Amino acid sequence: MKKFNLYTLLFISLSLFITSCSDDDNTPNGEAYVEPGPYIITASPQESEGVADYLLTVETLTQGRTTLVGNGIEQDGTYRYYITNNNKFFSLLYGQGDPGAVTTYEMNSSYGLDKLSNFQAETVQSFTNVDDEVLMTRISRNSANPIASWYRLDTESSTIVGEGAINTNELAPGDEQAFFTWMTQVGDKVYAPFMSVKACCNDSFGTEYPDQTWIAVYSYPDMQLEKIIEDDRISFIGRYFRSGLGVVENGDVYAFSSGVATNNTEAVSTNPSAILKINSGETEFDEDYYFNLEEVAEGYYATNQFYVENGMFLVFMEPQESKGAYTDGGRLAIVNVYNETLTWVSGTPEESEIINISVNNYIENGVAHVGITTEEGSYIYNINASSASASRGLKVEAGTITAISKLDPVE
Amino acid sequence: MQNNISKWFFLLSCAISGSVFSQTTVRGSVFTENGEPVYGAAVIVKELRTGATTNEEGFFQLNLASGGTYTLQVSYLGYEPLNKVLNLDDKKRLYVNIRLKESSNELETVQLTAKSKIQQIEALAYNVDVIDAKRLHNTTLDIGHALDRVSGIRIRESGGVGSEMNLSMNGFRGNQVKTFIDGIPMEYFGSSFQINNIPIGLAQRVEIYKGVVPVELGADALGGAINIVTTTYEKDHLDLSYSYGSFNTHRSNVNATYVSKSDFVINVNAFQNYSDNDYKVTVDAANLNTGEYYPETRLRRFHDQYHNETFIGKTGVVNKSFADELLFGITLGQNYNEEQTGARLVAVYGARHTRGNIVMPSITYKKENLFVDGLDLKLNATINLGKEKIIDTLNRTYNWFGDYKEYDSPVGELNYSNLEIQNNNGIGMLSIKYDLNEKSFLSFNDTYTTFDRERYSYLQTENRNYDQPQKTFKNVAGLSFTYETGDWNATVFAKNYNQNIEFTREIDPGGSADISYNYFERKLNEFGYGFAATYFFDDKFQFKASYEKSYRLPLPNELFGDANLIVGDTSLDPEESDNYNLGVSYWLNLGKNQLFNIDATIIYRDIDNFIRRTFAPNQSRFLTANVVGSDNLGFEAQFRYNYRNKLTANISGTYQNFRNNNPESAAYRARIPNVPFLFGNGNIAYSFNDVFKKGNNLTMEYNLLYVNGFYLNWPLFGDRDEGKLDIPDQIAHDLNFTYSTPHFQFIVECRNIFDEILYDNFSLQKPGRSFTGKIRYTL
Repeated sequence: MKKFNLYTLLFISLSLFITSCSDDDNTPNGEAYVEPGPYIITASPQESEGVADYLLTVETLTQGRTTLVGNGIEQDGTYRYYITNNNKFFSLLYGQGDPGAVTTYEMNSSYGLDKLSNFQAETVQSFTNVDDEVLMTRISRNSANPIASWYRLDTESSTIVGEGAINTNELAPGDEQAFFTWMTQVGDKVYAPFMSVKACCNDSFGTEYPDQTWIAVYSYPDMQLEKIIEDDRISFIGRYFRSGLGVVENGDVYAFSSGVATNNTEAVSTNPSAILKINSGETEFDEDYYFNLEEVAEGYYATNQFYVENGMFLVFMEPQESKGAYTDGGRLAIVNVYNETLTWVSGTPEESEIINISVNNYIENGVAHVGITTEEGSYIYNINASSASASRGLKVEAGTITAISKLDPVE
Repeated sequence: MQNNISKWFFLLSCAISGSVFSQTTVRGSVFTENGEPVYGAAVIVKELRTGATTNEEGFFQLNLASGGTYTLQVSYLGYEPLNKVLNLDDKKRLYVNIRLKESSNELETVQLTAKSKIQQIEALAYNVDVIDAKRLHNTTLDIGHALDRVSGIRIRESGGVGSEMNLSMNGFRGNQVKTFIDGIPMEYFGSSFQINNIPIGLAQRVEIYKGVVPVELGADALGGAINIVTTTYEKDHLDLSYSYGSFNTHRSNVNATYVSKSDFVINVNAFQNYSDNDYKVTVDAANLNTGEYYPETRLRRFHDQYHNETFIGKTGVVNKSFADELLFGITLGQNYNEEQTGARLVAVYGARHTRGNIVMPSITYKKENLFVDGLDLKLNATINLGKEKIIDTLNRTYNWFGDYKEYDSPVGELNYSNLEIQNNNGIGMLSIKYDLNEKSFLSFNDTYTTFDRERYSYLQTENRNYDQPQKTFKNVAGLSFTYETGDWNATVFAKNYNQNIEFTREIDPGGSADISYNYFERKLNEFGYGFAATYFFDDKFQFKASYEKSYRLPLPNELFGDANLIVGDTSLDPEESDNYNLGVSYWLNLGKNQLFNIDATIIYRDIDNFIRRTFAPNQSRFLTANVVGSDNLGFEAQFRYNYRNKLTANISGTYQNFRNNNPESAAYRARIPNVPFLFGNGNIAYSFNDVFKKGNNLTMEYNLLYVNGFYLNWPLFGDRDEGKLDIPDQIAHDLNFTYSTPHFQFIVECRNIFDEILYDNFSLQKPGRSFTGKIRYTL
């Protein structure tokens, strides 16, 4: 039996009262805290209860540190997503199937974020910039309701200015229905790659068509279906909540497939993880372009892609033995789609040490900024695409980096 | 006035336990000269140094050895003591009426010795508070809201009448605090019979055990227990009440007891609550088409009707040679509850609702001095065959204006569902008490509960998932030894917690036609222990200390989910906590007729493996999970003042330093978010006697509730000047006027007088100012 002792208790009570008064001063050691600046970092505390993201503004991503303790604008709700358009920062709540509040911020001259407005939006599975609008799409995974609803957000007024519905059953082969992995503006069109899913029978994301790929092409802003681009050299493009399309400087579109289709939870894609190309202005895949990533990637496949510049993509890779439909890879590579080469990035933590890697990243001047969290802490890694080398930069204390962005201050 | 408290404590606790070795039942009533019943008068048998106190009706009962002659000494503050000689002969039963004269010399010391049952319980070594429910019978409170006035306790609810109510006690929440009704655990009673809909009129008193729970309440309570004590079967009784108030709220309650000459008893308790709950809330209301918010709009709730109807009938015999109490009962009830919002006000619904019912037969058997003197037995068995239903079948999106957009496909507002579940909860309880000698006794309790869920989905009739077993069997056994002397008493106890969990897992998830299931069985077994001790320095000063190593076994909803929004986890481990309490009580007489009492308690809780709700990755549901370490050092104080029973006042306050205790965490030693840490309560009541007519009284009561503001998320993260989400300081004032005639009471109540916006978890708003009128008839 644990011994009950009055003095112990009194001692505990005294010491607790004392510590409770002093637990807010977290004295810094090591690198200096950075000043506020144009970069926005979103981070969630490394704690299980009461998880919310915080928005931090920092002057640099390459050095120093910042912290969530006593710092940052608290975001409502547990899961949030972010997009920047029209020099405004939009914070979207991924609600529990319910509509949620989207908060719009702009940056003031002292690098603080000012809340412009709140508006209500549905919980969506895809959101993308189309000129100065944000196209948000809510996609059903239920065969009884094969509908994807889209909403056009005007970033000037922060209101929904148009909406419509897409019958996803009509897009997909057989009895299956389309589930858009993401949408991407290509010229004045919206390209919407999708996976074909059963959307039923305890296997919502399973498919009988694991080795085909489709892109639905829509006009904008009326979202009329113009064409479905098809191919059978790769499996579907992108993944759930992850974009697979990248548009390069000359307007060519590169399409990344992970090759992770499933049926009854088994991986059934025989097509490898690979890249196809659509030439600028065309609506067919280039028959002559096929870049098999698995052939050059030592048993790895691609999970996420971010276009940097000059044909160079930053790609997250994952070993094929741990292939999964929802995995974000921890090994980073620079893929040059022009000369079809893959170079492993040096200077990032070992895959096995990575607890979290941010998938909403900021790219400027040939450098991709990615947040990586290990046991040691959460840091921004600055990845130079040309040299395929990373350097560890800003540390975010007490938090896990979830997104990185940048705004210009408004006078 | 030597060691009066302690002496009385001992004597009266004998009376509670009823283990006085005897054969004649002496019953009686104590009245004033005006014929008003005297509540809390001391009735002492001079020769035996034993006794009883009178209840609200002035009634008392004593069991004495037949054939003797005894002197009853009856005393009450402000009245002249009276002696009455009783000659029992061979009488089985004797009834005496006693009238007390008002004292000319008002200074008496009896107020300390004449303890009500409530004071007797509070004098126990446990950290216990007792609500004298009878004092609240004139209010329109349900049991939950009555608990809200107790130090250390906060009730957190999601809205108005019938909304989900969660209790927090010393930082423990929800299921970690167990609720009992007459010693039977209520966790399996379903939504139709819970603290949010049981009127206070059903209760005689409510006992609140903090941290350390006596074995007599046989359950795995991690942080404490609440026992609602209902009717006693002493004499005929009728209590009818009806109230009507704001938001179209109707409540009525019938409580009737009939005791025949041959000690055949019928007790009927029926109650009903109805409310539209259409109070106004301040919300950001969205335009359904543009998404634009109209901030800070005051709008009425439009889909929040709640009603429940419950009937409890009991019949049987009392005071027979083979049984002190043998009662057969049935509880029948139903409820209907419209869900206006999700977990937050931003999610607004217009059609989603739940229904539930309860069909619960029960049997109770009690016998003191069974076979041998000093052996008391209590048996209880009940099964709940009630059903719960969740209906969400309309594919609509609502806004706060009540507008909606409808889509033609089978999708719900939140979670497409039309599901019925029946949990088949059985509870069996055995309680034995044995007096080893005049100073010590053993107490044993065994509570066995079963859970065997049946599910039926009206939407997926073919889905074999709903046919899979979800069963648990739980047994909690406890043994305690209690020793009582003049100025101290102590209890040591040990408890065993045992649980068997049966379930299946899909072998080939995702496969459509040939899914098969593997059967699993899990066994949990834990031992807990503790002690409680109290010492009376003199008759004014009491010291208490108690400790328990407590466990809580995971509940069926945590293991299997609630078939709605909670996803279960069959691998959950029991929660555990070390609970320490240290308390002092001090009584003081201030001149004539004034009594002053202070209780102060320090608590410490060291908790591990907390079972918490977290969001599932896709945010549409909750998961349950074990979370490591937190602790709580708290302080509670309560001041009570009484002037001749005309003026009563009390103030209570609670501070709790509930913090994360996991060194691995970024929030190590940070205050646990979304839990109030400083709150209190004040209450003052004054009675005018003989208003308009002799014997009619008018009582005015004022109640104040204060909750210091707190953050919804970890306080240490984020900039507090940049709109960190919080619940601001809250103050609510309630007023209550009661005019009583011998049989009727007329009550007018105003709650939240200043129409403050009151919040709860995640800024759900509670009702604003409300008025209620109530009429009550008692016989």
